[in-house]
Amino acid sequence: MSDRLTDPTGPVSATTSMVRLEGVHKRFGRLEVLQGIDLEVKRGEVVCVIGASGSGKSTLLRCINLLEPAEQGRVFLEGVEISGAKGLNDVRRRIGMVFQQFNLFPHKSVLENVTMAQRTVLDRPKQEAAERARSLLERVGLADKLEEYPDRLSGGQQQRVAIARALAMDPHVMLFDEVTSALDPELVKEVLDVMRELAREGMTMIVVTHEMGFAREVADRIVFMDEGLVVEQGPPAEVLDSPREERTKRFLGLVLEH
Amino acid sequence: MDAFLSQYFDLDLMWRSLPEVLGGFWVTIQLWLVASVLSLIWGLVLSLLRQLPGRAAAPIRALTIVYIDALRGIPLLLVVLLISGGLGALASEDVIADWIGLPRWFGKPDPFWYGVFAITLTYGAYMAEVYRSGIEAVPSGQMQAARSLGMSYAQAMRKVVVPQAVRKVFAPLLNDLTALMKDTSLVLVIGLAEVVSIGQDIQAETFNSSALVLGAILFLVVTIPLARIVDRQIAKQQIRYQRV
Repeated sequence: MSDRLTDPTGPVSATTSMVRLEGVHKRFGRLEVLQGIDLEVKRGEVVCVIGASGSGKSTLLRCINLLEPAEQGRVFLEGVEISGAKGLNDVRRRIGMVFQQFNLFPHKSVLENVTMAQRTVLDRPKQEAAERARSLLERVGLADKLEEYPDRLSGGQQQRVAIARALAMDPHVMLFDEVTSALDPELVKEVLDVMRELAREGMTMIVVTHEMGFAREVADRIVFMDEGLVVEQGPPAEVLDSPREERTKRFLGLVLEH
Repeated sequence: MDAFLSQYFDLDLMWRSLPEVLGGFWVTIQLWLVASVLSLIWGLVLSLLRQLPGRAAAPIRALTIVYIDALRGIPLLLVVLLISGGLGALASEDVIADWIGLPRWFGKPDPFWYGVFAITLTYGAYMAEVYRSGIEAVPSGQMQAARSLGMSYAQAMRKVVVPQAVRKVFAPLLNDLTALMKDTSLVLVIGLAEVVSIGQDIQAETFNSSALVLGAILFLVVTIPLARIVDRQIAKQQIRYQRV
């Protein structure tokens, strides 16, 4: 086993488009959370999505892996439309997701958390699944916690297990939904470090975050959302340092000042 | 006072009727165990049917709710009478096969099985609601995490949601099993020689209630430890929640 987090021998597809959204709308009752999102993320690209809470960032991620079906518009994964398609389980396993609240399975040990879906979804033999889990957990610095249960771990440790759990499915793209927002400040770095390494290895990542420093350092592109729309996007230096849109300026003024 | 004591606590009579009462209690225990296992399974099935997702499953959900509401609203005694009278009659008219209408499986008489059916139908409905409260208490993030890994709804329920839900409702389920044990005595109305009916027979012969008191003591021998287990489980859960 190499010391990479990702599987370098994963399937290679000819298309360079990893995720593409076309005119995606999502509504919860009267509230239109997404009001027509167009977004393309290329293979190997790291995109950080920023914006005020309620701007639709998390919903955007949930529409990509179809946890929330979009009411209008189309979602493509590696050039193939997945919105309204059958066989969502196979689609979802190619899209890893990490949640703000970790959502580890509390009745399972750390090792079982990482092997469960490998066994049930990928039909991996027990040994192989455990081996993959062990090497991933080692890479996120938790080799000594295999038999622990989630409620015995710190938030940062839990989140690293959650990342390992998602990576064990050999996803082609990873979605991160404010994964450090529920962490104590001193635990944020250990999670961001794992994500940095993933980015360095070329994983395609869509990261909803409030960590502006991380976004500036790691993102190839920053997407600013407001009221369910993509207001502005571009390289970090452009969007963060010389935003064009008034709404972007106002938001950055609020988050960068202190 | 002596009259009172000898009416209820005639030790000599208790001793003499012990074998017979114990025999009856053994029937009670068997009825309790079989009906408990079946109720626990049937209740889980009902709660899963009641919460099936999607528009296509709407009729199933509606039917399940009607069933649960009906069986929780009808006295168990009445269900026992409906089952025993109904199945027996249908079998004798050859509407249904004898093996189901007059069940004598595993060497048990048909009143035993009528009792098992009736208790399972009723307690399954109660337990379905207990399971449902447990399933609803599992945070929605658990289902989302499982689905995001590519697990199907059924896999996520089986591996992630239901195991957590069952842990949460362990105590209320045990409570239901205690109640179920006491309700097994209702089956005496269709002629099953369980502990209460045997005590009643002895009372009728001797004009003394001590055999019934003996039966009551046997119930307590089982139900009190169950109550302690429930207490301990609740205490354990509270410690758990404090830690989180």
